[in-house]
Amino acid sequence: MKVKMLIKAAVIAISCGLLTPAPVLAQETIKVGMLISYSGISASSGIAADNVLKMFQKKYGSEPGGKKIEFIRRDTTGPNPEVARRMAQELIVREKVQVILGPDFTPNVLAIAPLVTEGKVPAIITGAATRGIVGEKSPYYLRTFFSIPQSVRPMAQWAAKNDIKKVVIVVADYGPGQDAEQTFTKTFTEAGGVITNVIKVPVRNSEFSGYMQKIKDSGAEAAFVFMPIGELSLGFLKAYADAGLKNTKLKLLSTGDVTDESTLDAAGDAALGVISVGHYSPTHTAATNQAFVKSYLAEFDKTPRLGIAQVIMWDALQVLYAGLEAQRGQKFDPDKFIASVKGKQFDSPRGPISLDKTTGDIIQNAYIRKVERIGGVLQNVEFDTIKDVPAQ
Amino acid sequence: MVFLTTLFNGLAYGFLLFIMAVGLSVTMGMMRFVNLAHVSLCMLGGYVMVTAMERFDIPFLATLPLAFLITGLFSIALERLVLRFFYGTDDLTQVLLSIGLVFMSISTIAYFFGPEYKPVSIPVWLTGQIDVSGLTLERYRIFLVFVGVILTLLILFGVERTRFGAMVRACVDNPRVASGSGLNMQVIFAMTFAVGGGLAGLGGALSASLLGLDPNFPFRYLVYMLIVVSVGGMGTIVGTLIAALAIGVADVCTKYYFPAAGGSIIYIFTVAVMLWRPQGLLGRKPGHA
Repeated sequence: MKVKMLIKAAVIAISCGLLTPAPVLAQETIKVGMLISYSGISASSGIAADNVLKMFQKKYGSEPGGKKIEFIRRDTTGPNPEVARRMAQELIVREKVQVILGPDFTPNVLAIAPLVTEGKVPAIITGAATRGIVGEKSPYYLRTFFSIPQSVRPMAQWAAKNDIKKVVIVVADYGPGQDAEQTFTKTFTEAGGVITNVIKVPVRNSEFSGYMQKIKDSGAEAAFVFMPIGELSLGFLKAYADAGLKNTKLKLLSTGDVTDESTLDAAGDAALGVISVGHYSPTHTAATNQAFVKSYLAEFDKTPRLGIAQVIMWDALQVLYAGLEAQRGQKFDPDKFIASVKGKQFDSPRGPISLDKTTGDIIQNAYIRKVERIGGVLQNVEFDTIKDVPAQ
Repeated sequence: MVFLTTLFNGLAYGFLLFIMAVGLSVTMGMMRFVNLAHVSLCMLGGYVMVTAMERFDIPFLATLPLAFLITGLFSIALERLVLRFFYGTDDLTQVLLSIGLVFMSISTIAYFFGPEYKPVSIPVWLTGQIDVSGLTLERYRIFLVFVGVILTLLILFGVERTRFGAMVRACVDNPRVASGSGLNMQVIFAMTFAVGGGLAGLGGALSASLLGLDPNFPFRYLVYMLIVVSVGGMGTIVGTLIAALAIGVADVCTKYYFPAAGGSIIYIFTVAVMLWRPQGLLGRKPGHA
C-alpha cells in the first residue's frame, strides 16, 4: 500500500516538474494561423496561398519585427461554419496563435467572430465579400479581400455614364447576390437608369437555358451579372454564349468574380468581350505588379492561375509584417497591432490600398476591364479606374 | 415558340441525365447494389475525353467511344476487385462504401488533374445555334438529343432482342431462379456493370461541355442521378428514360416560367412521386422475389 502511494506521489511530483514552464526565452515566436480552404470547392486558394507565402518570405525574410514567425495551417474546407469554428478554436486555444490570416467565406467569418474577439486575435479576412462584417462583427477583424458594394457601385456608375438606360440583373440567390442586386439597383436608378427585371439563379444550378431565355425576353440594353467565383460563373458564361446572347446588342456587365482567372480558361471564347469590374488583373501596368507577376510566374506553375486570390494573401502578409514591424522589440500586443495597421497605406500589386481607420475594412481602386486574348491567353484588360472606393 | 425551344432544351438535358443514370438503374435493380460511385464513373469519362483531346489530339467524336471503353474496363476492374465482395450486404454498408469511393475519386482526380475546371473545347460545328423550322436551337443540344435517341434505341434493342439482354432481364426479375436456371451470374453482373459504367463514362464525356468538368463533379450530380433512378424505378430502362426526360423538361421549364420557385420544383415533384409510388414510376413493387 505505502509503496504504491509513494510511487503515485513521485509520478505526480515529476509530472508537475515537467509541466512547469521553462523560463521565457528572449525571442518570442509569433504564431500565425492560416485559416483558409485547402480542400473542397476553393482548394485552389490554398495552393495560391502556399505559393504566395513562399514568395513573400523569400523577398521579405521570415523574421518580421525581429521575431521568429511560424505559420500553422488549418482547413476551413469551404463555407462550413462548424468546421471553421472548430479550427479557429484549435488555432486560438491549442496552438495559441497571435494572428489569423483568414477566414474565407462569410458564414465562417460570422461563426468565428466571437472567438477572435474573446481571444483578442487579429484576423485578416481573405475570402468574404459581404459588407458590414469587418469592424461591425469584431474589433479584431481586418480585410484585404473586397466587398460587394466596392465592386458593384462603380459598375452601376460606369453603366449610367456610358448611355446604358435599361439593365436586366442576374444574380445568384444568396446573401452576396442579393446584396449585389440591391446595391446595383440603388446606384443605377439614382443615376436615372431603369432595371427591367431581376433574375435570381439558385446557388446550386447546372442548367441555365431557362434563365437565358428570360434575359432574351427582358428587352434590356445590358445584363448585369453577379455569380460567385467558380462553377456558377463558368456555367453562366458558357450558357450565355451557347444561347447566342453574345451575338445580340446586349452588353454583358459583371463583377470580377464571373471573369476570375480561375475559371477564365475553362470559359474560353465564351468570356471574350465581357466587361467586368474588378480589383486586380495580372495585366495591371504599375511597376509593383509587373515585378510581382514576373517573380510569381518564374517560380510557380501556370495553374492555379495568378489572380486576385494570390494578391489578397500577399497583401494580408504585408499587413501582418507591417503590424509586427511596428512592435519591434516589444511583446506582441493585439490591440496595438490593430491600431498600427488601421489607416495605413500599402503598395499592393493591384494598386494602392489602405485599411479604413475605424472599421479596418479595405479601401482600394476599382477597375473596369474587358476580357481580351493577349498572347493566346485570356486576360482582363483594364481600361478605366475608379480610385479609392470604400468598402461600405 | 419559346415554349418549344424550352421544351427542346429540357429534352436535351433529360437525355443527358438518362445516359448518365441508366447504368445506375440497371445495377441497382439487378445487383441490388447501391453504387453511389456511379457518378465518379461519369467524371472519369469526362476526364478521359478531355485528356484524349488535349494530350493526344484525338478528335471529339472519337473520344466518345474511347470514354465508353475505358470507363467500361475500369468498371469491370472496380466490380471484380472491390464491389463484388459487398453483394448481399445491407444498404448502409453499400452506401458508405460507395460514398467512400466517391471521396477517393475526387481526391485522386484533383491530385492528377488539379482542382480547377478543365477547359473543354468541342468542335466548331457543334457550337452556336441553328434555325430549325422557325426555332433557334443550340447545335450541341441537337447533338445530345440525337445521340440520346440512338443510344436509347440501341439499349432497348440490346435488352429486348439479344440473348444477353434476355439474361440481364432474367437476372433483374428474379436472380434466384435465373441462377438456378444455369445462368452465370458472375459474368452477367460483370458485363452489365461494364456496360452501365461505360454509359456513365459516355454521359460524363457528353456533359463536360454543357455542365463543366472539375473534381467536384460527383457531388454536384449525385442527387440528380438518384432522383432519376428513384423516380423512374430501379432496373427499368424505359422508366429511367421517362424520369430523366420528365426531370429535364420540368427543371428547364420551371426555371423559365416559375423562376421564383428557385429550381425546387423537381424536388417537390420527386417527393410527390415517391409518396405516390415508392417503387418509382415503372419500378416493381417491393416484395417481389
